Amino acid sequence: MASVTEFPPPSSPHPSRRSLKRLDWFVFLVADVQTGFGPFVAVYLTSQKWTQVEIGLVLTIAGLVSLLGQIPGGALVDTVRSERVVAAVAVTMIATSALIYATWPIFPAVLAAATLQAAASCILGPAIAAISLGLVGHAAIGERFGRNARFASIGAGLSAAVMGGFGFFFSPQAVFFVTAALLLPTLLVLRGIAPGEIDAERAHGNLPELRTNRPRADLRSLLGKRPLLIFGSCILLFHLANAAMLPLMGSVLTTRSSQWATVLIGACMVGPQIVVALFSPWVGRQAQRIGRKPLLVAGFAALPLRGFLLATVRDPSLVVAVQLLDGLTAAVLAVMVPLTIADLTRGTGRFNLTQGVVGTMMGLGAAISPTFAGYLSDTFGSPVAFIGLAGVALLALAMVWFLMPETRPKAEAIIP
Amino acid sequence: MHGKPLAVFLATMVAAVAAMAQTEGGAPGQPSVTVLGTKEVQGILGREIRSTADENMGRIVDVLVDGEGAARAAIIDFGGFLGVGSRKIAVAWQALHFVPAAEKRYSVVLELTRDQVKEAPEYKEGKPVIVIVASGKLEPLP
Repeated sequence: MASVTEFPPPSSPHPSRRSLKRLDWFVFLVADVQTGFGPFVAVYLTSQKWTQVEIGLVLTIAGLVSLLGQIPGGALVDTVRSERVVAAVAVTMIATSALIYATWPIFPAVLAAATLQAAASCILGPAIAAISLGLVGHAAIGERFGRNARFASIGAGLSAAVMGGFGFFFSPQAVFFVTAALLLPTLLVLRGIAPGEIDAERAHGNLPELRTNRPRADLRSLLGKRPLLIFGSCILLFHLANAAMLPLMGSVLTTRSSQWATVLIGACMVGPQIVVALFSPWVGRQAQRIGRKPLLVAGFAALPLRGFLLATVRDPSLVVAVQLLDGLTAAVLAVMVPLTIADLTRGTGRFNLTQGVVGTMMGLGAAISPTFAGYLSDTFGSPVAFIGLAGVALLALAMVWFLMPETRPKAEAIIP
Repeated sequence: MHGKPLAVFLATMVAAVAAMAQTEGGAPGQPSVTVLGTKEVQGILGREIRSTADENMGRIVDVLVDGEGAARAAIIDFGGFLGVGSRKIAVAWQALHFVPAAEKRYSVVLELTRDQVKEAPEYKEGKPVIVIVASGKLEPLP
């Protein structure tokens, strides 16, 4: 704790408005590009006469790559000098992957495309956070992550609606053509972020004024940091409780309402994104003002509440309302995860590697979640599954409450 | 490359169709061939199914056959939005009607509505299969 509070406030960098606006748009477009690659891949491959065995295999391999690629991806972003180039390569890889999906749905090609997309995502996440930190520096990063979360969720919500429409009115294939076509605007916007304004040292979590007296921390010393381990475990438990909740709720909705199920599930996906878009910049500002911990506790508290409510509420329109709690949690997490990591890695030069470590724990939780929830729901029914997930969420909340230290550096507390 | 279900399924379809179609006998010892018109038969894996009320009922993802190779049930991927919330359910083979490709845009029609299908439990491999039959009732597959 003491080690993170000793630094003087870093001299504030001055990014131009133009670069910051371009970063908004870049985050927005990246979220668009990523939309089609979720559960929709299975729908698309089914329409291409793929068997369930093959689809399962491709999704499993892609899942493994995106889990194992997190740490190397973060390490790579910490090593390079131009975050912009890395981001451009990653976006191009994802667009290529979309094009392969759309035009060449045979097993080896799709397997390669899925791997490419998973690997690129491992780089793109940290790269966006690194560009942000490199542009604005630690003092203003809370609000910046808030803006990032806002534009990412506007992008995800809007493109879910648009691509859902494309898939419905044209063909499932159309979704991937739209995705690939988004490459051009994405690269153009990225070009607009002035490279000179991204400080590579800051982007890696270094404080430039302290550059000389600290060597780069290695992975082992990072993993020895207690607050980081606690935070990682909280995140793992959180995703273990969270990841299966929306799909489980979706399949419950389809059993209750036949006419409206599709619309309701769409609303359950888009509704929280609107909440995130509205709230996340506020979360970023409050994190600088009142500290990280109260917000983390609030965000983590909404998840068990949501689990218990989903276990009890039967009216489909109320389910959508409960689902808005997801937006609250997502707004907090989207800001607080990179922000806490930035706090914990000040001056280590390992901001992005650490994002990879936490990302791996996030992925582990999310990977176990459907199996856990599926087992509970098959054996005891979906209400018990929701309560089981809520129980895990309570555990995560308790951990944040009792074990997680406040990570806001003291020097910044005086800056409003 | 293709998984077992597809192979089994194709074999089933060929066997079933062969019984109906004309078989042209070859010379003794030579394999005989059957010619099927493109408007006569069709692949059904991944095909979109409509209900009699013209609702989208999802896509066929697998076909279950018994020891004789006769199709007993189709597994359809039902419901959801952008892949979230969809569920695999088993419907009785008899409830499916295959409209020849030449006649209509939607060539597989399920004699059930979304309302009748919504309660069906999820199909899981290795577990007893509960099939929804044409009357809308749920019956275990013996």
